[in-house]
Amino acid sequence: MSTKEERERIELLQGTLDLLILQTLLLGPAHGHAIAKAIEFRSEDVLQVEQGSLYPALHRLIKRGWISVEEGTSENNRRAKFYKLTPKGRRQLTLETRKWDKLAGAIARILRPTKQEGES
Amino acid sequence: MRRKRMMEELDQDIQDHIERETQDNIERGMSPEDARYAATRKFGNVTHVKEETREVWSLIWLENFAEDVRFGLRMLRKNPGFTAVAMLTLALGIGANAAVFSVVYAVLLRPLPYKDPSSLIVLNETTPMVGTVSVSYPNFLDWRDQSRTFSQIAAVRGVGFNLSGVTQPENISGAAVSPNFLSMMGVRPFLGRDFESSEEKAGTPPVILLSYSLWQSHFGADPNIAGRTIKLDDRAFTIVGVLPPDYRSLDKTDVMLPIGVWATDNSEDAKERGARGDLAVIGRLATGVDLAKARAEMEGIAARLAAEYPASNDRFGVALQPIRDAFVSDIRPAILVLFGAVMFVLLIACANVANLFLVRGASRTKEVALRIAFGAGRGRIVRQMLTESLVLACFGGVLGLALAIGGIRGMAQLIPTGMLSGSTVNLNGAVVLFVGSVVLLAAFIFGLAPALHSTKPDVQSELKEGGRTSSAGASQNRLRGVLAIAEMSLALILLIGAGLMMKSLYRLLAVDPGFRPERVLAMSIELHTQQYSQDPAVLNFWQQLLDRVSVLPGVQSAAVGTNIPLTDSHGRADVTIEGMAQPEPGNYPHPDVHIVSPKYVETLGISLLRGRTFTDDDNEKAPLAGMVNAMVARRFFPNEDPIGKRFLFGHPAATNSSKWYTIVGVVSDTKLYGLANPARLEVYLPFRQSPSNGMSLVVKSSADPAALTTEIREAVQSLDKDQPIFAISTMEKLRSNSVATRRMTLVLLGLFSGLALVLGAIGIYGVISYSVAQRTHEIGIRMALGAPRLDVFRLVVGQGLKLAGIGIAIGIVAAFGLARLMSSLLYGVSTTDFETFAGVSILLALVALLACYVPARRAMRVDPTVALRYE
Repeated sequence: MSTKEERERIELLQGTLDLLILQTLLLGPAHGHAIAKAIEFRSEDVLQVEQGSLYPALHRLIKRGWISVEEGTSENNRRAKFYKLTPKGRRQLTLETRKWDKLAGAIARILRPTKQEGES
Repeated sequence: MRRKRMMEELDQDIQDHIERETQDNIERGMSPEDARYAATRKFGNVTHVKEETREVWSLIWLENFAEDVRFGLRMLRKNPGFTAVAMLTLALGIGANAAVFSVVYAVLLRPLPYKDPSSLIVLNETTPMVGTVSVSYPNFLDWRDQSRTFSQIAAVRGVGFNLSGVTQPENISGAAVSPNFLSMMGVRPFLGRDFESSEEKAGTPPVILLSYSLWQSHFGADPNIAGRTIKLDDRAFTIVGVLPPDYRSLDKTDVMLPIGVWATDNSEDAKERGARGDLAVIGRLATGVDLAKARAEMEGIAARLAAEYPASNDRFGVALQPIRDAFVSDIRPAILVLFGAVMFVLLIACANVANLFLVRGASRTKEVALRIAFGAGRGRIVRQMLTESLVLACFGGVLGLALAIGGIRGMAQLIPTGMLSGSTVNLNGAVVLFVGSVVLLAAFIFGLAPALHSTKPDVQSELKEGGRTSSAGASQNRLRGVLAIAEMSLALILLIGAGLMMKSLYRLLAVDPGFRPERVLAMSIELHTQQYSQDPAVLNFWQQLLDRVSVLPGVQSAAVGTNIPLTDSHGRADVTIEGMAQPEPGNYPHPDVHIVSPKYVETLGISLLRGRTFTDDDNEKAPLAGMVNAMVARRFFPNEDPIGKRFLFGHPAATNSSKWYTIVGVVSDTKLYGLANPARLEVYLPFRQSPSNGMSLVVKSSADPAALTTEIREAVQSLDKDQPIFAISTMEKLRSNSVATRRMTLVLLGLFSGLALVLGAIGIYGVISYSVAQRTHEIGIRMALGAPRLDVFRLVVGQGLKLAGIGIAIGIVAAFGLARLMSSLLYGVSTTDFETFAGVSILLALVALLACYVPARRAMRVDPTVALRYE
């Protein structure tokens, strides 16, 4: 892998990763590997997640009570741990998404002021 | 628990994860080997992930803190000299604080052992002439009937007893209380029963509760004590129980009895509305009633009683005081001043330690700069340095607590007896808690400035500059200068306090008490038993006692008298002086009355100014005679000879006018109420004409008077083997005790200010010698350019004196304000006394000069060639 390719990927901010995990789990319970894959897939590989960094984030979310863990069996009948959104996590996701939209909007306005003025 | 389980499962999760990724890669067509490698790579650093996850579950700050503590310990071990000096300085400051706090706690803070003490109120009567006085029993009964603001109210009457039937007879203190007293206070007997409401009435059989200590000392802590008897004043009292060990009262209480027993024995006092003798009233406010409301109601009741019974109650009011205030004695201002002083000592100690930290911080600048360069946040480093301060302060605190054990013992001895109102000075949980908070506070005070300073961004330029004389160095010197100035000002304030106190005590001890206390022994004797119920028996006892004591070897003269100076037994009465203008009611002269035997004036060394003293001829059959003091003569007979004039007790309208006393002599004023208090009106009566059952025996000895105690005791017991003597003391001791609070304040203030002086001097010395070391190069250049050595000396000393001068100036301004807080402790000296202020300032300047002398000498000896080569 070339360094150039890596530079084009965006390193994730801690809070952002939390948000992405919650968003992913909105579709239903999933195990760790599946979450990592989903994030990569849905961001069209732009977002670079070192897959390992998923785990501290998952544990942080468990500690806060936003997600829970349950034992289950995966598609090929292997024992696996499934992470699941809690009602509290669902509320948090709405809240965080709204915050994120606001922030993204604000940053966009700062970065492209002329366009904004033209629109208004 | 949860953390451990989560961490165990994590391993499994990670393995699963990599397994799946490898599988995916194989499906994408990689060789198994490559697939595993890519999966592992994509996962990242497994150890790092585990660590990060563990952190999620751990109390990170706690682990950081533990790490900081370890680091701090390592740093302290690395600099044993620094650590020892800083620790000792802190220990002195903290130890002194703990010792003083133990007294603050004992006197001001220790919770009273009563139920809801905040609603307990002490009530007394007041009169414009003397202020607060005791309550008469009939007035108490009317208060109880008429008041609605108190849910309960009870009387406490002090009674003295002679305890006999033991090895040596002794005098004990009793409290006769309303039967509801203990339950109102929320106190339950440790053993036995409380009093019953029927025990309020006269005719109550003699029952008694023992204090815990009397039960221990005289009854061997017998658990079956109830029903046994105790012989008090030749009467057997049935013991019904024991008071709890933590029982605390305003006056010493060895035994407690129902007030009905007192009312039986003292039926006249119990009915006489004008008899106010050692009876206090305590009430519990009804729910929802505050002090102001109760006071308004009680004042109304007192006014009604004054109108109804003008003869006994005219102009008598009522004073209400929360019980906590009644327990806080006159020592309060002294204790608060000392507490403030000892806080100053701690601040000085902190300033000194901060200075030490700054010096060491200078040598650690590079270490800090490196750590910041490697990405440590400033906050993190400040936190780490504060932790180091805290570790040091903790050691200082532990050592200080050890010092305080000795200090507290010293305080307990230094504090005047009777000032504690039943509390004890000891090392307790509150003191330890206090030391804990002082440690935290101190760590912050001496740690924060150096920590912030050595992590300041501009200090970091040190790294680039190679760290010699930079602007940061100058700012550090400024900070150290400020600390030295602060130390000087604090030390000056303390020294001024001590100076004012010393001058007060000197002035006080120079006060003429009006009597000669040297070689005089005093003791109290109270004749309680049945055999002394008639006056002739009483007079016979006193006369025989005087006859026997006078002939003891070494006795120059002996006398008996009531109301001896500097004790708290006072007898006063209204008098009418023949020919004086009729005073307003309540404004009658109210002198102290002494009932004395003929040699009293001679024995105490009171000067006879005019006329004669009493003789044996001033007896029962002779015309009534009296002496007055100089103040009576001055006030009532300004231009005439008082000898031959007459006075009587009470008011002419209410008194049998045949009881006129003719003045036969005038004597000097005596300081009955302490050396600092003004003299009062006094009259003297011959003891044979006013027999008294309680008297003090005073004996003038040709040698050490205390040596006579045994022989006097034997003389008393040869007259009556059950008769105790008590309150034995030399008059010199009484005089010394009367200034005990001030002496304690002086001793401690002196100690604290001495400590402050030494610490302050060390502070200035440290600043100057460090600055000399820093400026060796500059001084070398100056000398190479031809500056005389004396100029260099002057330069260095000048720098130190400038700091001291600013410190002294600030200190003087602050002391002007603060000395006012101790005005109640001063005597004969103004709070802005010029001599003290000037003397102390000069002393401090001299000490500062001395502290600069050593580094200045060192600067003078700088060898220019060496200094320049040093670069």
